[in-house]
Amino acid sequence: MSKTATPSVEAPYPPIGKRLADMAIEYNFIVIFLIVVAVATMLSDNFLTFANVANLFQQAAVVGVVAIGMTFVILTGNIDLSVGSVVALCGMLVAVLMQNGFDPFVAVAITALIGTACGAAMGAISALAQVPSFIVTLAGLVSFRGVTYLLTDGVPVSGLPKGFSAIGSTMVPVLPGFAISSMGLIFIGLCIIAGIVLRLTVFGEYVFATGGNPQAARLSGLPTRLMITAVFAVSGFMAALGGILLTSRLRIGQPTAAQGLELDAIAAVVLGGTSLFGGRGGILGTFFAVMLLQVLRNIFNLLGLGSFYQMTVTGIIIVAAILLNRFIDHRKGRE
Amino acid sequence: MPDNVLTVRNVSKIFLPSIVALESASLEVRPGEVHCLLGANGAGKSTLLKIIAGAFRPTGGELAIGGQPVELRSPADAARHGISMIYQELDLVPQLTVEQNLFLGHAPTRMGIIDHAERRRRANEALARVGARFRPDARVETLSVANQQLTAIARSLTMDAKVIIMDEPSASLNETELKSVFEVIRELVRQGVAIVYVSHRLGELREIGDRVTVLRGGRTIGTYSIEETSDTALVEAIIGKQRSLIERKPRKPVTGDTALRVNRLRGAEGLDIAGLEVRWGEVVGLTGLNGSGRTSFLKALFGAHHFDGEILLEDRPFHPRHPADAIRRGVGLVPENRKTEGLVLHAPIYKNATLPSMRSSWLTRHKLQKERTVPVLKSLSTKYGKPEQAVVQLSGGNQQKVVLAKWIINGARILLLDEPSRGLDIGAKADLYDLVDKLAEDGAAVIVASSELEELYAACDNIWVFHEGRNIGRYDPANTDRDAILRATILGEQHV
Repeated sequence: MSKTATPSVEAPYPPIGKRLADMAIEYNFIVIFLIVVAVATMLSDNFLTFANVANLFQQAAVVGVVAIGMTFVILTGNIDLSVGSVVALCGMLVAVLMQNGFDPFVAVAITALIGTACGAAMGAISALAQVPSFIVTLAGLVSFRGVTYLLTDGVPVSGLPKGFSAIGSTMVPVLPGFAISSMGLIFIGLCIIAGIVLRLTVFGEYVFATGGNPQAARLSGLPTRLMITAVFAVSGFMAALGGILLTSRLRIGQPTAAQGLELDAIAAVVLGGTSLFGGRGGILGTFFAVMLLQVLRNIFNLLGLGSFYQMTVTGIIIVAAILLNRFIDHRKGRE
Repeated sequence: MPDNVLTVRNVSKIFLPSIVALESASLEVRPGEVHCLLGANGAGKSTLLKIIAGAFRPTGGELAIGGQPVELRSPADAARHGISMIYQELDLVPQLTVEQNLFLGHAPTRMGIIDHAERRRRANEALARVGARFRPDARVETLSVANQQLTAIARSLTMDAKVIIMDEPSASLNETELKSVFEVIRELVRQGVAIVYVSHRLGELREIGDRVTVLRGGRTIGTYSIEETSDTALVEAIIGKQRSLIERKPRKPVTGDTALRVNRLRGAEGLDIAGLEVRWGEVVGLTGLNGSGRTSFLKALFGAHHFDGEILLEDRPFHPRHPADAIRRGVGLVPENRKTEGLVLHAPIYKNATLPSMRSSWLTRHKLQKERTVPVLKSLSTKYGKPEQAVVQLSGGNQQKVVLAKWIINGARILLLDEPSRGLDIGAKADLYDLVDKLAEDGAAVIVASSELEELYAACDNIWVFHEGRNIGRYDPANTDRDAILRATILGEQHV
């Protein structure tokens, strides 16, 4: 065992170098992200262009929005496997509603409401019947996909109003010469709102406490069952938004869309440093992890390497990042 | 006289840094006897048992089996030496069958494949020895507790145990079930197996035991023949002449009105409390053996356990269905286990301290939360670095103060403390009870449950004795002999 100097209580400001190092460890996902971006920039001249960056945000938006909801769920120590199916269901539902003459605004509102209700129902079943959310949402994954096919007997819905596709694809100039799609902006905006909710509201505080120690939270008078229901409602709402954005971008309601999306979302949340056991993590990590995974996909495309390489390398990076986090936890003595 | 099958000589166990769980314990077990082990809570019984079963390594002293000195490195090692431990919660795998459980870890195999015929044969043999009337292929979870107990005993037999240790086997058995277990024990003893039997209940020991060893404060007080020793003498040995570790401060007479009155409270597992009341400014202690219902009672009062009955809080009916109901009425609970029930360990101190009191607003006000936390922690003389520090980094005593701070910040006026001093050293304990005293002086009504009568004696205005789910007697420590209370805790009768 090596002897280390005991940290002095009197010195609240350690040297700047050490503080930077501590921050780099705490926010290691940002460091990893920057490294990957640097490598990508070196590998391809086309990477760091306005057009490509806008493209990155556009492509990351659907998974990103879903991953925000997933962050809430995982922070309470639960998991939501149904999001891919809810994305598809809501993507189809909004198309079917508009096809049947509903105004796009009304169609979007109804769809968002139904997505939220789907999530809340699964959360309530899991919380009230004390069933692991893994099982309840696995059932959701299967059933909601079934309902999606039932809506049109598996036929895609096209011919959507022009105004609807504007939701996702309007290009908004943010800098001179740099425009970003509304989808990307919605993703960024939702990240900020979710970050505020988690950091600054009592609701957010309760999410962390419920995940950190459900017993202590309950004995402190927190409505832990309601909290579980609420985070699944948030996840359902986010999945509905994801579905609406997807249909808006594709200009078609596609019942087979978003297969396996739940795994991408979970991977992003965990890669972003949120603990699967709950109580630890946040939106910042999720945002960077979503973008990191998108950059990886992007750079492989730019280099002309096929999706087989992408999948392999993505998996390796996820495992490496998780091992790094375990290592950091171990160093900090939180087993 | 036959040689001892198991000899424990002057064994000690110190948990670092400085908790002495066992000072000098000795035990001599002869083959073919039921040797009972007696002692108050905290006397060191469990530690001694775990050392014999190989779960703990002793700090000092020696063990000998069949006259040969041994060093037990693990439970498996102890099993190889013929020592088998049956824990109170019976470590069987409920989903597996009886025979799978009997041979878990030592199944007969042929070329790496389980020899089912041989296993069945030996399972039937072991089950016959304990007089079991269930099949070896029954799932353990479908058996009654008594039959599970028999399965656990049979499992010891399949390992050729020479010494079987039973930790409070009677806790979950009814009268008839216990009788059948006793019959099995007698039969095994006749075959030369030695049984070490741990129980609080003197009546039981008289029925089954041959000799008894009494532990007190981590030391062996003596070994007695049960037949020749009276109850009074045994209780005397358990209690001893106690020195007071925490000084009793003279308490002012309580003048406050009734804060909480439990007319009747009935809950799970036979909990039945009647006529218990606390006044403002009063500290009421609850004592009793483990499983006497102290914790269930406090949890019920706090709305965490379901109950039927009638309780008045400030003369208004009080029937909390969720902790939030109790908290709204000004009740706070410091739970038995601060790590698993009291704190979100990795969260900052100030967030833990303000967790119950956040509910009144939508936005978190970190600055305000800290401002409310700091003075309360200071008044509790908590030692910590910064309020943003994770609570896990604090010492046990300071963690407990954070739990207490939760309720003080939230303005609770009825405080329920369940084993608040567990795991604290003497200094921190005295500190904690000073706080309890101060809170009561400021007008709070306090109920403290503790297995350590010593502490209650020093801190309480009144002490209730709980026994098997009922409150059987109320004592004023100022004019009651401590031994009378201990006697009531152990024997369950009122001797005033």
